[in-house]
Amino acid sequence: MKVTQTSDNNILTLSLDGELDASSAVLLDTELNKPDVLQYQKVLIDCQRLNYISSAGLGVFISHLQRFQDAGVKLVFFNMQEKVHNVFEILGLDTLMTIVPSQAEATAV
Amino acid sequence: MSLPPALRAALLPLMLLSWALVLTSTLLRLNQPAAPTGLATPLAGLLALAVFTAATFAYQRSRPDPLRGTDFVGLLRRLLLGPGLLVLVCGVCYLLERFLVQERPGYEQQFFAASYTLNAGLFILLLTYSTYAWRSLVLFRSSSQLRTQWRAFEVLLALVLVRLFVPTFSPVANFITLGLIALIGVYMSGNQRWVAYLNRRQKWEVLLLQLGLLLSLMGFSAYFLHVGSRLQGIVPVQQQDFILNLTLMATFFSGMGLLVTLFNLPTAGVFEQKREEILSLQRLTQLIQKGQSEQEVYTMLFDAAVQTVSADAAWLEIDDETLPLENRAYNVRPEQSTLIRNLLAEYNLSQIEYLNNDLPNSSGFRTLDLGFGSLLVMPLRSAKRQYGSLYLLKEQRHGFDRESLSILQTFTSQTVLSIENLQLLAASIQSERVKEELKIASSVQDSLIPKELPTDNWFEISSHALAAKEVGGDFYDFLHLPGRRLAILIGDVSGKGVTAAFHMAQMKGIFHALMQENPLARDEREKFPVPSKFMAMANRALVHCLERSSFITAALYIIDYEHGGFVFARAGHCHTLYYHSIKEEVSYFRTAGLGLGIIRTDSYEKHIKNQFYDYNPGDVMVIYTDGIVEARGANQEEYGEERLQQMLERTYYLEASEIKEQMLADLNEFSKGQPMHDDQTLLVIKFKAAQPETSN
Repeated sequence: MKVTQTSDNNILTLSLDGELDASSAVLLDTELNKPDVLQYQKVLIDCQRLNYISSAGLGVFISHLQRFQDAGVKLVFFNMQEKVHNVFEILGLDTLMTIVPSQAEATAV
Repeated sequence: MSLPPALRAALLPLMLLSWALVLTSTLLRLNQPAAPTGLATPLAGLLALAVFTAATFAYQRSRPDPLRGTDFVGLLRRLLLGPGLLVLVCGVCYLLERFLVQERPGYEQQFFAASYTLNAGLFILLLTYSTYAWRSLVLFRSSSQLRTQWRAFEVLLALVLVRLFVPTFSPVANFITLGLIALIGVYMSGNQRWVAYLNRRQKWEVLLLQLGLLLSLMGFSAYFLHVGSRLQGIVPVQQQDFILNLTLMATFFSGMGLLVTLFNLPTAGVFEQKREEILSLQRLTQLIQKGQSEQEVYTMLFDAAVQTVSADAAWLEIDDETLPLENRAYNVRPEQSTLIRNLLAEYNLSQIEYLNNDLPNSSGFRTLDLGFGSLLVMPLRSAKRQYGSLYLLKEQRHGFDRESLSILQTFTSQTVLSIENLQLLAASIQSERVKEELKIASSVQDSLIPKELPTDNWFEISSHALAAKEVGGDFYDFLHLPGRRLAILIGDVSGKGVTAAFHMAQMKGIFHALMQENPLARDEREKFPVPSKFMAMANRALVHCLERSSFITAALYIIDYEHGGFVFARAGHCHTLYYHSIKEEVSYFRTAGLGLGIIRTDSYEKHIKNQFYDYNPGDVMVIYTDGIVEARGANQEEYGEERLQQMLERTYYLEASEIKEQMLADLNEFSKGQPMHDDQTLLVIKFKAAQPETSN
């Protein structure tokens, strides 16, 4: 999996490309663990090219959820594919995390 | 070139006979000095001598090679102590003859003739023995070319026999023959490879033996020269010349052999050192194959290195602190090694190959005043890591040469190789042990999965569970509750392997602990927690032991077949697939519910709901884990909820076990040839009409 970072005006966008499984979860975890991530007001996750997410991948977001909330950083997912959204939904994460259809909406949240 | 056996057998009698003829001819000639006839003629004597000489050479030539293996010393010793001692016989004969002449005057000529003939025979015997011993040595590990050259040499030697029948041999011809023989002899001596195989002690021994042999030959020569003046009329001139020629040749060749050995003496040390190096390398190599301990390999390297380069002091530093320190320093005090190590570190020279052959004149070392002249540091290094360093010291300056450097490099690389081998071996044993433990974990986990499914006449239940690795994170369990109720729990721990298996066992414990009757309950329905309550309590219990990034999905069903209904809560687990027999329709219960361990506060209760449903006989409930719907097909697509739903639409009328089998068959068909990514669990429950009179 590939993670591309773009930052603009207090917004950090991470674009995920490929499959987020146990091995790529480590990569993403490293990215999210960086202290400067918490300097942003929002962290947007672009899921357009995210084809698959394993429980390890979900675990990464779950483990950072509380940390982001405590630091007042909003975590927003957008452009999520149907099947990936389904995984979030089954686990009940859609009630905890902000998942919106498009980037415009994500920025507006 | 070898003789037929019959002829070979005749050689020894021929030798004896011809020698007897020589003796007879000589003695007869004494009686008829003026005009000898028959056997007494000089020609007959010379002919007999020629036959004797030829037969002796031929006999010796046909005998097996006197050299046994590489026992050169033994060969020479046998030569000296056997035929070499014939010179004593010669001496005794001479003294005996002198004595008899005193005692019995008048027979001196006869005595002298007999003694002379005997000595000539013995001398020729010694000469043949020496020649063929020499042949064994020269031809030791020789090329076929040299063997051909040897035959040429033998032909030349045979030419000397001609000498016997030419009354006046021209000095020029004599010179040419002897010169040729001498030249070939010198050339042959240059091919004596055997000397190189001797160590220093053996070379000295060989030198002494050759000296003894030379003395023995010179004894004969002295005799023949001494008696020369008395031979007139007894021995033909040709015979006398022939014998003298032979002595000359013999002395020349044994002198050559002596010189070859003598000049080879100084090289003995070098050869021995090389041999020692090879043996040390061999010992090191053997250690690898025996697979002994690292400590032993290091000790072996240390001993071999010190011995091979003749170091005056040395120590070995190993970075691995767990190995004991004994036998790692030789003739060096701890403060000396510390000084040297610190100095090298100061110059940034530690951890690399370093050679200083002039310590007293090097700036840093001069001040240390170590009493050593040369230092060699050899790191023990592989491509991946450094194992330590070997320090060698010598008292004299310029103590280490290029050879010692290269042999030490071989030693250290061999050592590193064997150390890595041993570590690999240890690692593989370790991984074997881990595998064994995983097997145990797997069988322990297997015992946690219920083997006996609940059976009753109001439902059918069939299950399937398959772990992707030795131990998995899927689980399910059943518990009968009072009042005709059955609790079914299914779950999936995120991640796989041992950690997941631990949490799975924990979940089973929580299930059994929470599903206990509460004695304080006010009414029947509160005696056992409802599914949502159960999930909330389980979530609270798991908070303390689940790592931050792990979570568990679970679903708990409590089926009350007295009232024909069930209640369930879904904590992030896969949706329940259901066949409604009244509606004749297959659908998923799409309820909300958050996985366990995601929210770690009491607010979790808000995220979990109970769902009640009244079932009808013929309804089918399919409970599974994500390993089923996320199984991959040939194009990496997922099996999916939809296909599972279609399967139930096709099979709902079958028995529970058949529905399960058909679903698994379809799944296996779909994911044929693909690796299994996740554990798979599938439970099929088919409700039947309750029959209260026979149940419970």
